[in-house]
Amino acid sequence: MTPEEKYELFDKYCSNELSEQEQQLVKQLMQEDVSFADELLLYQEVNTHLQTRFDVDHEQRELESNLNKIRNSYNNTISSEKNTRIIRIPAWAYAVAASVVIAFGVYFFDQKNPVYQDFANIPELSIAERGSMEEDSKNAENAFNSKKYQLAEGYLLSLLSKDKKNTKYQFYLGITLLEQGKHAKATDVFKQLYLGDSVFKYKAIWLEALNQLKQKKYDKTIELLKTVPEEAEDYEQAQQLLSALS
Amino acid sequence: MANTKIHADQKYIEALLRNDTLVLTEMYKKFAPKVIGYIKKNSGDEPVAQDIIQEVLITIYKQAKEKGLQLTCPFDAYFFLLCKRRWLNELKKNTDSLVTINEEIVSISDESIHFVEETEIFNAKHELYSEMFDELGKACKELLKASFTIKSMEEVASKLGQSYGYVRKKKSLCIGKLTQLIQNSPKFNQIKKLL
Repeated sequence: MTPEEKYELFDKYCSNELSEQEQQLVKQLMQEDVSFADELLLYQEVNTHLQTRFDVDHEQRELESNLNKIRNSYNNTISSEKNTRIIRIPAWAYAVAASVVIAFGVYFFDQKNPVYQDFANIPELSIAERGSMEEDSKNAENAFNSKKYQLAEGYLLSLLSKDKKNTKYQFYLGITLLEQGKHAKATDVFKQLYLGDSVFKYKAIWLEALNQLKQKKYDKTIELLKTVPEEAEDYEQAQQLLSALS
Repeated sequence: MANTKIHADQKYIEALLRNDTLVLTEMYKKFAPKVIGYIKKNSGDEPVAQDIIQEVLITIYKQAKEKGLQLTCPFDAYFFLLCKRRWLNELKKNTDSLVTINEEIVSISDESIHFVEETEIFNAKHELYSEMFDELGKACKELLKASFTIKSMEEVASKLGQSYGYVRKKKSLCIGKLTQLIQNSPKFNQIKKLL
């Protein structure tokens, strides 16, 4: 049997088109010749594989994109749960909360605009790598997380002097400046980040918006908030603030 | 396996086949944290863990679609083990140094392991078939793609401006060629040893 004849037979076998005579022949060859049987079975499997592969191509892509959406919404709920947890636990938070309430009360007589504290949600800094001998990164982390921003600024600047392009350092430097009320400097840092292409791009827009909010520059805040894209982690917060402002 | 009872968790397989957002979301909440926790403990991070989860879900989907996968064991252990083994393979591929694995004691039934192995073999074959398909000549690739997307060989023939008899014969020769490429690949023998 030539290869042409063999594969024609295989093709008919897969599509159930064998004549009775051919069926007998295939049956006989499968019993007598192991390599024939092996090849036929593999041919059949490859045939099914190709069939489903081209068949489900579109469907599979839809599933993939849906799974991506589910993954993103899962990540968003997790990060918002984490944030609430951080706010709830520490004891000093009560004092802050009380002062915010008072500030709020005072504020309300004044105007209805939202304030920076309502929206500021400072993430934790974690840059000290396991086993890292870098003293500055540990110090920066400690200072930042215990809200000693002036100190953290110093350490971050020292880290940046060795690693100028590190966007993580830049981003956290921006936050330390913002928290200290060094608004113009903070703007410089955030602007560089949101014009760039790092993972902090969108976060930087959000924080620069907060930087403007803290200075009560509402028009500027609104302008920035409008550029926070839907896929950004802070999109919902940005929308809330936006609707509170307009 | 045909006479064993299908497990209630088959609903998760069905959800993948139907692309059912509600059940898939529930699955993610239920099964993802354990995998993420494990991978994070073993030199990975969250995004990587989520990539692994996605890949494994797609493999299960493909197997269900092509082979009609029917679970007779809980999804939890099956899924976790698949993710775990895929991650360990990744680690082996990317690190020269020895990696310490924080083993957790999970009781896994023989049946789950059987399903895991079946899925892994399916996946290995799938990868090999795709790889070998790419090795085919351009004409074969195009003809096979047309035959399996258009379905009717008459239409394929008229589209390619050839006779029905010719495209049909050519199609069987192309699949034959692919079958041989697969048989001759060293990976194929490795997979066969696993069976």
